Order: sequence, then structure tokens, then C-alpha cells
Amino acid sequence: MTAVIQTKNLSKWYGNVLGLSDVSLEVEQGVTGLLGPNGAGKSTFLKLITGQIKPSIGHVAIQGQDVWNNYPLFGRIGFCPEQDAFYDEMTGWEFMTSLLSLYSFSRADVQSRAEKALDFVELAKDKDRLIRGYSRGMRQRLKLAQAVAHDPEIIILDEPLNGLDPLSKRKVIRLIKDYKEAGKTVIVSSHVLPEIEALTRTIILLHQGKILARGDIHYIRDLIDKHPHMISVKCSDPRRLASSLVGEPSVLNIQFGPAPDTVVFETQDRDKFFGLIPRLIVDHRIDVEEITSPDDNLQAVFDYLVGK
Amino acid sequence: MVISEQGYVHWQGTFIERRFPWWPITRLGIRLAFKRKFFKFVFSISLLPAVMFSTGVYISERLDDFQFMLKGQDRLLEVNPAFFKSYFTSEPLLFLMVMIMVLAGAGLICDDLKYNSLQLYFSRPLRKRDYVLGKMATVFFFLLILTLVPGLLFVLLKLIFAGSFKFLANYPWIPVSVIAFSLLVTLFFAFYTLLVSSLSKNRRYVSILLFLVYIFSNVFFGIFYSIFHNPYFCLLSIQCDIQQVGAAFFRQSPHYDVPWIYSFLVLAAICCLSAFVLKRKIRGVEVVK
Amino acid sequence: MNVELKDIHFNYGKITALDGVDLALSEGACGLLGPNGAGKSTLLRILLGFLSPERGEGRVLGYDIKKEQFLIRRSVGYMPEDDCLIAGMDAVTFTAYFGEMSGMPRQEAMKRAHDVLFYVGLGESRYRLLETYSGGMKQRLKLAQALVHDPKLLFLDEPTSNLDPQGRNEILDLIKDISSKKDIQVLISSHILPDIEYTCSHVVILNKGKVAAQGDIEALKEIQYSLYEIKTKGENGGFLKALKDKGCRVEETEDQIMKVYMPANLSRNEIFQVALRENIQIRYFVKSRTSLEDLFAKTVGVD
Repeated sequence: MTAVIQTKNLSKWYGNVLGLSDVSLEVEQGVTGLLGPNGAGKSTFLKLITGQIKPSIGHVAIQGQDVWNNYPLFGRIGFCPEQDAFYDEMTGWEFMTSLLSLYSFSRADVQSRAEKALDFVELAKDKDRLIRGYSRGMRQRLKLAQAVAHDPEIIILDEPLNGLDPLSKRKVIRLIKDYKEAGKTVIVSSHVLPEIEALTRTIILLHQGKILARGDIHYIRDLIDKHPHMISVKCSDPRRLASSLVGEPSVLNIQFGPAPDTVVFETQDRDKFFGLIPRLIVDHRIDVEEITSPDDNLQAVFDYLVGK
Repeated sequence: MVISEQGYVHWQGTFIERRFPWWPITRLGIRLAFKRKFFKFVFSISLLPAVMFSTGVYISERLDDFQFMLKGQDRLLEVNPAFFKSYFTSEPLLFLMVMIMVLAGAGLICDDLKYNSLQLYFSRPLRKRDYVLGKMATVFFFLLILTLVPGLLFVLLKLIFAGSFKFLANYPWIPVSVIAFSLLVTLFFAFYTLLVSSLSKNRRYVSILLFLVYIFSNVFFGIFYSIFHNPYFCLLSIQCDIQQVGAAFFRQSPHYDVPWIYSFLVLAAICCLSAFVLKRKIRGVEVVK
Repeated sequence: MNVELKDIHFNYGKITALDGVDLALSEGACGLLGPNGAGKSTLLRILLGFLSPERGEGRVLGYDIKKEQFLIRRSVGYMPEDDCLIAGMDAVTFTAYFGEMSGMPRQEAMKRAHDVLFYVGLGESRYRLLETYSGGMKQRLKLAQALVHDPKLLFLDEPTSNLDPQGRNEILDLIKDISSKKDIQVLISSHILPDIEYTCSHVVILNKGKVAAQGDIEALKEIQYSLYEIKTKGENGGFLKALKDKGCRVEETEDQIMKVYMPANLSRNEIFQVALRENIQIRYFVKSRTSLEDLFAKTVGVD
């Protein structure tokens, strides 16, 4: 697959404040999650790839074209900023139509697109109210509506789920997945890791202005050698199971608890471990309730890489 | 040997019933005022009129020492009700009071609106009137130092320098007037400040507004007066209103030929307006329409 | 009972915010969920005594919510959703100040302010001006001012909004520690369901001004039939077939998770026997529960 967004040695300083440093990457079609602690450079990165600020060093190219000052390209990008950026004295409808008429749509087209977008975020009922009176969730949805109303190919969402209630979150997540099906490119930044996990397995993890990790979550997890995999087994006789694994060299640590029927193994060789388990379970007639990997998730990857 | 418990620890003390639950608010207001740039400077400047008038009291009694300044006049200075009136209604003093309000009073409510701290106040056992009282008392503190304290000091100095109670015997009502007028001016300025302060979330606007309303009410009066020559336009000016009332309190003839009670009513109306606005603006929750 | 409400009604003009809410909370942490406009904030405001209900009655910590709002507020800590501070102050003065507002003696409030700020992790920066605080620090500060008078009931409104993953974890751990004290009831309103799942044992779901569901989270999530989620590694064609032969219904989801409905006569051990025979690694094996999100969607009545 060809890369939709390409950056090369992308760096940005604000005076002497570091925004982003030496980021080279390619973003492909589908959904990519952008993570990082506060101040890691997420917003800077998003502003750079949408051409809102000029890189200090390096290039950004979208579909092979340089982004900076490339106005025709902007029509293919939809951007939902993190901060509120509204004209409080406008109604939601005026806001949408005035933004949409900046693209070269016909008058009728502008109206139907605005209607469709507002309808989608369930603001149709409140479209004639002043934005000043909108709640936080409504503002968030309006931002989202303006990002997708012109039907862009590349959608960049900075904290789009922030402040939404669980139902709206679900809707937005479903929408983003629909865009993925439609072959669009979506980049989503979020602080809430389970939300990213619900959206995608491809992530970019930024830290201190640099790329810390990039790719599939589980693949990244496998690459972290420093922390052996944890496997938690909840079963009828955890001590028996543990005693038969004590002699196994690939098991590094065995820990009981906190619940009395749970045992947590740490192993460097998951394949070997999981290969052994069924035999033991069957031989000892252990009734297994649960097998889980408590640290095979985004939160663990994040904590291990960023360092708690 | 003991290992003390980690994590959250309870507080073992007991709550007290404060007689003045608003007092911490006032204390905070005064402390924050002194942290502002220029405030100490302006505040010390605003004490200058009091110092000058105190000197005046001294001179009036020790005329012998100041013969060279007399230059044939019978008396250089006399401490009489007019003396008090001219202190309390002097333009520089009123102007400095407004400046103090701009520096110490502008943020009283507007900062709480800006930083959403009202809900923190009202999630505690605190009544609305305690809150307003606390904020008002901050204004009172500064303005009473400029009015009541010097006023009583003049009386005291006069008595000390004269060494007799003749002055009090002549004008027994003076201390009462001093107290009443100080309270009136202070109360008015407190309401005025809180009114403007609750109108905006931006401290700068409030500061400018406090200043401009005061100045422009005076300027408009000047313009209208010069066109129509009708003294009743003095009601427009906050400064003139205070001066008219001040003259009445110290039993002097007012500068403009308008009954002082009208001016008094104008000031009272502003206070009522302020009370009304405060009642509406200060609430613990923003009600979403 | 720390919180007991009966048939609470409240309207903003013509808009009904609460339409007969019954609630009973005893101890531990409780999550308050609901779509926007379900009446969560109104409920919190009534519990705090900002608003008085139009109909219905209730007691918070044994005090009447209509008549004894003052006493309630003395023993209640409130952490609002939006940033709150007083410009020109440092954290210690700020926290002590609100301690005094709650009725603590001045010196005691100062002492306690230091303790609480250390507890929430602002110990190092407690003399800094509040305007210079970052978002995460402001969040901790709000928690500190809510804790300073040692409340018996703590209301947290969106305690983790605008925090990065580390900050969020730290705040959640603090909340968990506080609610592990048996004598503090914590009520958390949040849109982030994983946070609620992590910190709370109970949940109350509001919808359209009514309580749509309440109870123990684990109990609510339990499902009756025997459905297991399994993730495997290996060539699982044979495994699937063998399971189907045993009478299981198998669905595959997009995340490479198999959902296996087991017939009643099949034991879990037999699944592992099949895996052994087919040389399959079972990497994930969990009895399926309704996720809190699904539960929420179901209770609120939307798919």
C-alpha cells in the first residue's frame, strides 16, 4: 500500500521551545491512533501535516504533494482541532454554511452538506441556536461536523471524543470505522487509551517530540523485551498448575493473588508457555475459568515505553 | 515502633462556627490587593491628602510659628465644618478612591467569574450574603482608612493641639457627620465596585469601566452644564453627587443649587441596581438555558 | 445509608431535568452515568444543596436535602468539572482558604492543606502560583480542595477530563485509595466508562431524568448463558470444526476473537482437550460479560 501522508525529518521549534523533532514516518490508509503524554508534540504534529504551520526542518507530503501553502490540497483534508474555535455569536447552521461556502460548492450543495453533517452529529434540532449556548458535548460534535462536511479523504481529529457522552462516543467510533471501510485515512489523537484501542491497532506514540513507537499494538508489545509477558490464569487449582510449571525455564516469575484462585505467570517465551498449558490443564483436570494477558494492551505498552 | 498508615488520612479536628463567616474572604481580598503592582504606591499616595490636612490642623493652632505665611491675613486656616467638607469632597481624594477601587476592587467578583471559583465557594457552608459581605468588607477596609480614620484623626488632633474642648463644644455634631458620611461614601463605592466587577469576566474591562464611568459621568455633566446652564445636570455626575451630599452632611451650602436629597437618591438608586445585579449574577451554578 | 433520595423532581422552566429519581447509596465508590442531558449535573446540584427539588424528599448523610443544606455542605467535598482557581494565590493558601470556608479553624486548615497537597502529589509545587499550573495539576488541586475538610461524601464531576494517560492513572489511583476507606462515599460522574469500571463497584445510570439502572457493576454485567471469548494461535480450522461437533456455536469477530456459545453439558476442560488434540494455543479465554458500554447503551435504550 502506498503511503498517504509522508513526513521526512519533520521538526518544529517555537522560539526555543521544542515542538517536534526529527519525525520521519508514513501513514497509510485506515485509522491511525496518535498518542503521547501532554507536551509530546501531538498537536504540533497534527498542525504540521495539515499545513497550518511551517516545519522548521523537513517536509510533509500528502499523496506526494508538499503540504505547505498548497491550498487545493486542503479541500481534501478535514481537521477537528482540540480547542474550541467558534464564533460564539453565530448559530450552528451559520457556522457550518459559512465554513462550507469557503470550498467551491454551489449554494444548494452547501446547504445540503451542512444539513447532512448536522444531522449526522444530531445537532439538526439545535442548529438555529447560538453557539454560545451550546454545551461542551454539542460544541465537540459541531467541530466534528465541520471536519467531515466537505467529504474529505484525509480526516484528522484531535481529541474528537473528549467531552462526548458514551453514546455519542460510540457513534463517532462507528463513523470513524465506516470511513476506514470507505478507504479514507483517519488520524485520531486521544488521551483515553481504551478509546484508541476500540478504534484501531495501528498507533504512533510520540514522546518528547520524537517517535517512540509506531505500528501494530501487539507487535510493539512483543518487541518490548525488558518486560516479560504476564499471563494470568484463574482456575480451580492454581497452586497445582504453578507447581508443574516451576521447573520450566521459560517461566520467570510466578505470583499468586490477589484473588485466591488466580495465578500470574511471567514468561519471555509465550509460544512455549501456551504450548505447555493445554496439556497440564487436561492432565490435572483443572477447571480453567479465565486466561488473560493483563499487560498485552495499549495501556501497558504506553506505560512501559513512556516509563511511569 | 510504628509505621504510620500510608494513603489518605482523616482530619481529626472539629469544625468551628464562625461569627463572621465572611471574614476569610475579606482577608483574602486585602492580601491579594497588596500583591498587585502599583497598589502599594497608589495607596500610599492616597494617604497624602490626609497628611496634608493633618498638617493644616496643626498650622491652624500654631499660627504663631507661621506668621511669615500670614502676610496680613487675619487667619491662615480655620478648622471648621468647611474644612471637613473640603477634605471629604476634595476631587483628588475621590479620584484616588476610584483608583484604589480599580486596583483592589476590580477583580473581586470578576476573577471569581472568570476562574469559575463561585461554585467552590457555594459548595461550602456559605450564604450568598456572606460572600457579598466578604467582598464588600474588602472595599470597606481600604476606603474607611481614607475617610473615617483621617476624619476622626482630625478631630482628635484638633483637640490635642488646641488643648481644649472648644471645638467640640462649637460643633458637637462633627464626629457624627464624619462617621455617617464616611460610611455613606464607602457603602456607595463598595456597591459601585461590586456592580461593575460582576458585569464582566475580564478584569481589564472592569478596571477601565470603573474608571471611565466615574470620569465620563463628570465629563457629560460638564458638557451639558456648559450648554444648558441647568445645575440639575450635576445629578449625572457621580463626583458631584457625592460632593452635594457631602456639603449637606457638613451643613455647608451645596455648590450647585439642587436639593441634596436628589443626589442622595441617585446614589441610592445605583446601590439598589447593584444589589439587584449581584443577586442575579452570583450563583453557584450556571443554569443552562 | 449515605444518600437516600425518593421521587425527586426538578424542572428548569419547562424543561424537565429530573423526573422521579429514587436512589440509595451505602458505601464505596459509585459511578454516575448517563447521556448528555440525562440530569446528572442537576442531581449533583441537588445533592449539594445548590438547587432544591420541586417534589420528593431525600437525605444526604442523614441531613434533609431541603432544610439542612448547610450541614450537608460541611461534610461534602465537590470537585467541579471545569477548572477553578483564584488568581494570584499559591496552592497552600488556596486549599487552606477553602478549608476555612468549610469551617475549619485557620491554623488547622493550613496544616491540613499541606497534608492534602502532599497526598494528591502537589507537594513539590505547592508554593507556586496557580496560574502557572498545568491542566493535570489543576485537576489535582481541585481534588485537594475537595478533600481538605475531610468530607464524608465526595462528588467528582469528570475527574479525569483533559488528562494524559499517566495523569489519568494517577488520579484514578487516588480515587481508588480514597474510596477504599470505608467511611468515605465517593460519587463519580464521568463519560469515560473504563474509568468508572476501574474505580467503582456500583453504578447508577440515569436517562431522561430517571434512574434507568443501578446496582453492582459485576452483577449487572453478568450474562446468563455460557458464552466464552477465545483467542488462539495456530491453524484453527480443525479446532473450530471440533468445537462445532461438540455442539458449540462459534462466531468470529474482527479482532480475531472467537465467541463460543457452549451447550450446558460441555465442561470448560473439554475445550482445552480439543485444543490439545488440534495443537492449538489458547491465548485468551474469558467468560463473556456485557461490557459496561453495551450495558449503558442497552439501558439507555439505543443500539
